[in-house]
Amino acid sequence: MRFELGRIAGAAILSAGLSFGVAGAVSAQDYPHDTVTLVTHSSAGGGTDVFLREMSGFLGKAMGVNFVVENVTGGSGANAMAKLATSPADGSIFYGTTPTYINTSLLSNPEYDFTDMEGVVNVFLDPQIVFVKADSPYQTLADLIEAAKADPTSVPFGVTTPGSLDRQVMEQFKEITGVTSPVITHDGGGELLISVLNGTVAVAIGEIQELGPQIEAGEIRLLASYTEERLPNLPDLQTAREQGVDLVVTKFRGIAGPKGLPQEVKDLWAAGIAKVLEDPDFKAWYMEQSLIPRLMPAAEYEPFLAAFAEEQKAFLIQYGILQQ
Amino acid sequence: MDGISTAFNVLTTTPAIFAAIGGVAWGIIGGALPGISPSIALALLLPFTYGMDPITAIVLLGATYVGAEYGGSIPAILINTPGTNAAAATVVDGYYMHREGRGGEALGISLQSGVIGGLIGLIFLIVFTEPLSRVALAFNFPAYFALGILGLSVIVSLSNGSLIKGMMAATLGLMIATIGTDPLSGVTRFTFGEPELLTGIEYVIVMVGVFAMSELMMTANTPDWGKTDGKQTRIKLPSFKTWRKLWKAQGIGSGVGIFEGVMPGAGGSIAAFMSYNEAKRWSSEPEKFGKGSEEGIAAPEAANNAVACTALVPVLSFGIPGSNSAAILMGGMLIHGLTPGPMLFQKEPEFVYGLFGGLAVANISQLFLGILMMTPALWLVNRPKPYLMAAIFALVFSGIYSIHNSTYDLYLVLLFGVVGYLLRVFGFPFLPLVLGLVLGYLVEANYRRSLELTAGDHRIFWETPISLGLLSAAVLFLVGSAVRDILVARKAAKKVAEGAQG
Repeated sequence: MRFELGRIAGAAILSAGLSFGVAGAVSAQDYPHDTVTLVTHSSAGGGTDVFLREMSGFLGKAMGVNFVVENVTGGSGANAMAKLATSPADGSIFYGTTPTYINTSLLSNPEYDFTDMEGVVNVFLDPQIVFVKADSPYQTLADLIEAAKADPTSVPFGVTTPGSLDRQVMEQFKEITGVTSPVITHDGGGELLISVLNGTVAVAIGEIQELGPQIEAGEIRLLASYTEERLPNLPDLQTAREQGVDLVVTKFRGIAGPKGLPQEVKDLWAAGIAKVLEDPDFKAWYMEQSLIPRLMPAAEYEPFLAAFAEEQKAFLIQYGILQQ
Repeated sequence: MDGISTAFNVLTTTPAIFAAIGGVAWGIIGGALPGISPSIALALLLPFTYGMDPITAIVLLGATYVGAEYGGSIPAILINTPGTNAAAATVVDGYYMHREGRGGEALGISLQSGVIGGLIGLIFLIVFTEPLSRVALAFNFPAYFALGILGLSVIVSLSNGSLIKGMMAATLGLMIATIGTDPLSGVTRFTFGEPELLTGIEYVIVMVGVFAMSELMMTANTPDWGKTDGKQTRIKLPSFKTWRKLWKAQGIGSGVGIFEGVMPGAGGSIAAFMSYNEAKRWSSEPEKFGKGSEEGIAAPEAANNAVACTALVPVLSFGIPGSNSAAILMGGMLIHGLTPGPMLFQKEPEFVYGLFGGLAVANISQLFLGILMMTPALWLVNRPKPYLMAAIFALVFSGIYSIHNSTYDLYLVLLFGVVGYLLRVFGFPFLPLVLGLVLGYLVEANYRRSLELTAGDHRIFWETPISLGLLSAAVLFLVGSAVRDILVARKAAKKVAEGAQG
């Protein structure tokens, strides 16, 4: 892999870009641009930023394009969406999607929102895991539900931020199981982890890549995954469904672009992603991160995002976060 | 002693030692520019580290953090503008000294205190990572709430005599802290539909507005344009005699900094304020605070440099970043394939000891770099006022703009400039406002989360031992200062009465 340092936009603080491209390797059908910008609202070193930079190295080879990752931070994605919505829909600029941009669109009513963009292709799902402290008395979801029903306040549930996906999942969990325990919000994943480790909350939801060190050190124990099938690198971990809680969470990571992209660009992306997902080196990376590859071409991704937004909106209204 | 030889080995075989020095230099510059907070200085640097070996990269980032925490005090002292959030407590006494023509001396105290605080913090980081990490775990919601209340009790001593005005300023700060997203329900509050306000108002915008913009307005009001401010153009490290007066304040600052650095969410600005207050409480000349007290610079500067070291405790022991800067540092580790967390010490001891060694080099080289860079800084601020004011205006605006690349923030900083101007005109103290601002979120969120845990039962606050202890300390302090104030007032009244009789 060849690193090209130097596209640090001197004045544009924080939107320091790093060109991370691999030149050459002409594909069968040429992509209409030599250089493609991938925008993320995450700052350098953040989750989506790392994902895009890691993928763009392999994707550059597969699609014969130089990829440049640009961090457009601020406004929880609002700035990045504004940049995308006002850029040409010619396949030269894309956005790394996570549920955040839909959430921000719904919550803050920014000038440009997710409806000014369209889904191009989905790449991964982030599996959501239920975890407890290592010495917790709860071995299964059933133990947890039983204890919570007996004394709701003795089993507080921890989540990250109020409008987050894991809060939504916890509320759904309560609805399905009929438990009434309090759901305690935090400022982020780090604070939540501390709350689990010091016993303030009894149970929380997280992602493998964040919890890895704690799992390895035996500080926390996993109870269930909200996935359809068991995770390949954690074969002993039962899904929630297997334990009688019918809940599957689809936290997605993919690519979106300005509205009105030509069909051929979308097809080239779907082909390119299909190719990188098979790349053994890339596979090693994403298996280690416990990401589930889930290729969705534009025709499938767009309705998926729309449905996700609808569901999210209903949740936000139901819990009073969003006024109707 | 195995660790020391490992560290020495790593430092002599990699470019880490240069990274430590370079990082400190960049950190001081970044920290000195208002708007470039330590975290932004780190974020700007991060892309450059991708091609480096892991130790060099992380030492570079760590050294930048160290330098930036010190750099923030330079504009605080010289132009009444905190370069970083944590330097806000340094502004009061530092700028006072500068106006008295003792700017070089103030810079020397800040530099020496920063180095001492940093080294003490580093020793604690190296020796006591394990016990310190337990401190972080021991703090639950009620304990954080109590810590915030103890912090707020400081208002009494920061109000410079007018407690009512101090409370009003603090309330304004608390009100500004409620802008943004509600920490528990996620409902947006006082954002008026502006997406820029969703995540709240950046502390640095309020601080720069209140301190720097209002200062510019005041200066424009009193045209004294021809003259320059100071006579002294050399940095002056404290003499041994001065230092004997400072060690207590530096010790208090380091202690508070070590403690606050370990706890996620507390951070440099709270540490700086609390240590300022503690130093005042234990000082033999508390009346000098706010009027150019050397101890008033030494304590917060020792504190924020100690924070820069112990903030690594939660990163190294849990993989949890306690501040934005620590989060970026952790991002840098992840990029280089190092997973911070409980296994790091066992799996990558070379890296850990190398990092400690690099930080030691960074703290020591800060002393020399600080001296080197201070003389030009002093020369700059001694230029004729019209040029200086114009340059500060440009510097502040470009710094604030760079936070989010947003002109919205420029209007905000102007707005807070007007607020600061009015506060000055009507004689309100600034520090309570800043304190209310930085503590408002901590107090509110943790109060409500505690009650959420107990379904509204307040007993949790005195049934949690840490919370009980901290709240008792706050009450004792409040009652103590009230009694002292009453006694002082009575004495003064008696004197006046006697004077009238005689």
